Amino acid sequence: MRRLFRLPLRSPARIQSDADDELASFLDARSDDLVARGLSPAEARDEALRRLATGETLEATRARLRRSAKRREERVRVSDFIDEISHDVQFAVRQLVRTPGFTVVAVLSLALGIGATSAIFSVVYSVLLRPLPFAHAERLVSLRERNGRDDTQGMVVTAGNYGSWLALAHDFEALAAYGYGSATLTGAGEPQSLQLLRASAGYWKAMYLPPTAGRYFGADEDHPGAPAVIVISQHLWQSAFGSDPRIVGRDITLGGRPYTVIGVAPAEYALAGGLTDAWIPLALSASQLAEHSDHEYAVVGLVRQGVPQSRAIDDLTTVETSLAHEYPGGFFDGGIITQPLSDAVVGSARQLLLILLGAVLLVLLIACSNISSLLLARAGARETEIAVRGALGAGHGRIVRQLLAESLVLAMAGAVIGLAVAAAGLRFLVTMTPQGSVPRLDEASLNAPVLAFTIAIALGCGIVFGLYPALRAANPELQQLLREGSRGTGGGMGARLREALVIAEVAIALVLLVAAGLLVRSAMLVQRVDPGFDPANVLVAGISLPDARYQTDDARRGVLDRIASLVGAVPGVAQVAMVSRIPIGDGGFDCRLRAEGADERAFIIASVRSASPDFPKTMRVPLVAGRFFSPSDVAAGPPVAVLTRSLAHRLFGEADPVGRRVVDCTSGSTEAPLMRTVVGVIGDMHANGLQRDPTNEIYVPIAQVVLEHSMKLLVLGSVAVTSLVPAIRRAVAAVDPLLPLARVRTMDEIVARSLAVSRFTTLLLLSLGGMGLTLAVIGIYGVIAYFVAQRRREIGVRIALGATAGRVVRLVVREGVTLAVIGVAVGCAAALALSRAIGSLLYEGVSARDPLTIISVALLIALVAACASAIPAWRAARTNPTTALRT
Amino acid sequence: MALLKGTLDVLVLKTLSWAPMHAFEITKWLEDRSGGRLAVEDAALMQALHRLEERRILSAEWGITDKGRRARYYRLTGTGRAHLRAETKRLTEYADTLTTILAARSARG
Repeated sequence: MRRLFRLPLRSPARIQSDADDELASFLDARSDDLVARGLSPAEARDEALRRLATGETLEATRARLRRSAKRREERVRVSDFIDEISHDVQFAVRQLVRTPGFTVVAVLSLALGIGATSAIFSVVYSVLLRPLPFAHAERLVSLRERNGRDDTQGMVVTAGNYGSWLALAHDFEALAAYGYGSATLTGAGEPQSLQLLRASAGYWKAMYLPPTAGRYFGADEDHPGAPAVIVISQHLWQSAFGSDPRIVGRDITLGGRPYTVIGVAPAEYALAGGLTDAWIPLALSASQLAEHSDHEYAVVGLVRQGVPQSRAIDDLTTVETSLAHEYPGGFFDGGIITQPLSDAVVGSARQLLLILLGAVLLVLLIACSNISSLLLARAGARETEIAVRGALGAGHGRIVRQLLAESLVLAMAGAVIGLAVAAAGLRFLVTMTPQGSVPRLDEASLNAPVLAFTIAIALGCGIVFGLYPALRAANPELQQLLREGSRGTGGGMGARLREALVIAEVAIALVLLVAAGLLVRSAMLVQRVDPGFDPANVLVAGISLPDARYQTDDARRGVLDRIASLVGAVPGVAQVAMVSRIPIGDGGFDCRLRAEGADERAFIIASVRSASPDFPKTMRVPLVAGRFFSPSDVAAGPPVAVLTRSLAHRLFGEADPVGRRVVDCTSGSTEAPLMRTVVGVIGDMHANGLQRDPTNEIYVPIAQVVLEHSMKLLVLGSVAVTSLVPAIRRAVAAVDPLLPLARVRTMDEIVARSLAVSRFTTLLLLSLGGMGLTLAVIGIYGVIAYFVAQRRREIGVRIALGATAGRVVRLVVREGVTLAVIGVAVGCAAALALSRAIGSLLYEGVSARDPLTIISVALLIALVAACASAIPAWRAARTNPTTALRT
Repeated sequence: MALLKGTLDVLVLKTLSWAPMHAFEITKWLEDRSGGRLAVEDAALMQALHRLEERRILSAEWGITDKGRRARYYRLTGTGRAHLRAETKRLTEYADTLTTILAARSARG
C-alpha cells in the first residue's frame, strides 16, 4: 500500500508553535554559520536577524510565517480528506469489481427502485409541489358556495352573488369569475368549434401572467354594451392564425359576430379552467346580476396582500350569510368552501399521485432491504479480510467508512443507471396517462429538484442499507470471536437479521400486490358493468349552433332536423339521433325534480337531457314502459318527459309512472310551474361513469326544449361507422357549410376513455407490485442460498446417514416458506391497516379488505417463495457428502 | 543580484533534488552555488517552502541537524520531481530564446 501523508496539525496553537520553531531553528543555523566564519555569538545573532527580513520587524516576519503555515495546514487537511475519500472510493470500486455477480444484482435492483421513485417524484413535483405560474399564486383561492351543512364540495357561484361579493368583499384584491361556453370560429380556415371562457376583468388581475402579445381586457370592457373584444390562446394563435404578428387589432368572427382581438394569452392559462381557446368579457347584465339561484360561475379570489386568508374568508362568509337571508331557496346556505387554487387545479389527481409515490417508495424499501441483506451476507464472507485489516491497525471508524463507501458507490451507480430508468419511466408515464386526467403532467421533467431528490434518496439508501452491515462487520467483539476461531456462529446475528429483512420484504410486496389486486378486481367488475346502452358502432360528433345565425329555438330545431335527415340518408347509416349530452361523463344540467303534488322539499336532483325521438334506437337503450318521444311531441303539444327506471321508482314508488306528471324543471319560473307528463320509462344508465351508480335522468324532447345550443349527433352504422365520417361531414356541410363537426369519436372510445385513468392506475400499481415481488423473491433466494451454504456440512451428514433428496429439499423449502408465511401474516395485517388509503380508488362492489384478493395474493407469494427456495434446495440435495464433510 | 520573479520555487526544487535539507541549508546551498551572487530573502524562502508543501510538491518532517539542533527537513515528492522537470524545461527554453534574441540584437548593433 502506498504511504499515506503525514497527519496534518490539528490545533491553531500547534500550527503557530511549529512555524515559530522553524523560524527559531533557521536563526540558530544562520548564527552557527556566522560564528563559524568568525563573528562573535552576539554579532552573529544580530546579523542573522538583520538578514531575516529586510525592512520589517521580527514580529512581522513571524506573523507572516504563521499565516503561511496556517494556510498550508488548512489546505493539506482538505486535500488529505479528498485523497482519503477517493482512496476509499477506489478501494470500494475494486472490491465491487471483484464480485461482479453481487454488484450487478445490487446495482440493478437499486437502479430499478431509484429510477421508479424518481420518475414518480418528477410527476409529483411537477403536479403537486411546484407553485402555479401566476404572480401571487399563494394568495389565490377557489371560492364556492356551500349548500347545506354537510356539503363539502360546494357549488359554483350565482351571477348575483358574485356581483355582491365584488361590491362588498374588500379583502380580495381581485375576483375572477368565469363560465364555460363554446362558439364556432369562421373565416380562419375550416370553421372550427372553440372552447370559450367568459371571464370577468378580475380574471386577469387575479391570475396574472404577462400576455404573449397585446393586452387583456379590463373593467371598462367588462359590461354589457362595451365593444366586443377577445383574448385568444397562444395555441389558437399558432394553429388558426399562423402566429400572425399583427393579430392584435384584427377582427375575427365567432358565432357569426365580429370580435376584435386585443391580446394573446400564454399557454399556462390552461391551468385555470382547462384548455381554453379564447376569452371574452363576462359582461353580466343587470338581469343576470339579479339572479341568485342559478349557480353558473367558477370564482377564484386573490386575497389582498398582508390580509390573513382566514380574515378574507370570514369577511366573505359574512357577505354570503346576509345574501342567504335575503335570497332563501337559492341553493346556498351562507357558507363558503375554499381551497387553495393549486389544490383545486390538481383535484383528484393528488390522492392518486400520493398513493403511487407511497407504492414506489415501498418498492425502493424492498430494494434497499435486499441490498442490506446481500451486504450482510457479503460481510459474513469477508469476516477474515476485515479481521486482518483490523489486526493491521485499521481503526473501527476507518473500516466502517470503507464498508460504507462500498454501499455509497453502489447507491451512486444505482442512481446513475436509475436516472436512465427514470427518464424512460417518465416518458412512459407521460405517454400512457390519459390526456387531461393529470394537470401539468406534460411539464414533468428530470429537472434540478428531481436530480437533487434522486441524489438524496441514493445517499439515503446507501447509508440506510450500508450502515448497519458496516457497523456490525467492524464490531471489535465480533472480530474477537473470529480470532478465537469460533465457527458457524459468526453468521448467527446476521442470519437472524437477514431473515427479518426478508420477512419485511415479503410483507411489503404483499401490501403492494393486494393494492394492485384490488384495483384489478375493480377493473374486472367495472368491465362487466352494463352502461345501460350499447356503445358498439356508434359515432358521436358535436355540433354547436352559433347564436348569431340561429337565433330562435325554431331555427335551431330546423337545422338539427335537416342534419338528421341528410345524415340518415347516408348509405350505411342505420340510425341518427340528437342529444344535448351523451349519457357518460360528468356535466350537464341538474334540476330539482318532484312529482306533481309532492311536497316542495321532496325533490330529487336529476340531470336533464334533451333528445330526438330516435335516441333509444340509436343508443339501444331498452324501453321499460310506455314510449319514447315521437314526431307528434311538438312544441305546441302537451309537455312530455321520459324517466330512467330508478328515477321513476324514486319518484313514484311501485305505481305505474306512465301518465303521471312531474314539475318541469327546465323552465326557470317557480311561481307557475309547468307540468310534464311522463310518457315512458327507459333503462338506467351509468352517466357519471361506469364506476358510479346509475344516475337519475330525465329526458325531454328537443322539439319542446332545446336546452343547449350545442348538440351531440349520434350515428349508428350498419357498416363500420368510422368509415362513414367523410360522408357524414359532407351531409352536415350540405345543410350549413359553416357548421363544423367537433370532436368526432366513437362511443366505444368514449367509454374506454372514461375507464382509462383507473386502468392506467391499475397497470402502474400492478407493475410496481410485480417489481416488489421480484425483488422479494431475489431476497428469499439469497437468504435460502446462504442458509444452504451455511448448512453444507449438516446436509452432507444427513445425506451420508441416508436422508433422501426429497427430505433435503423439504428441509430447505420449509425454511423459505416459513419466512414467506411470517411475511404474509405481517403483510396481511399491514394491508388491512392501510386499506383506507386505497378505498376511494376502488369500484363500489369491491371492499378494500376483499378476502378473495388478499388470500390469492398470499397464496401467490407463498408459492413463489417455495419456488425461489426450490433452486438452492435442489442444489443442496445434490451435495456430495464426501466433499461436504471434508471441507 | 535579486531573483527574477517566479524563479525561487524552481531553484528550491533543484536544491532539494540532491538531498532533503532544512531551510537554512537551502539558502546556504544557493548562496554557495551562485558564488554569493544570489540574494534570497530568508523569510521569503520559508514562505515559499510552506507554499510548496501546501501544493504537495514538497513534504516535510522534523529532524536533528549534525549540530544536534531540531530542524524541519524538506524533501521532493513525486509530484515535486515532475514539477521540477517541467519547470526546468520551460525556464531553459525561455532563457535560450532570450539569449538568442538578445545576442542577435547586439550583433547587429
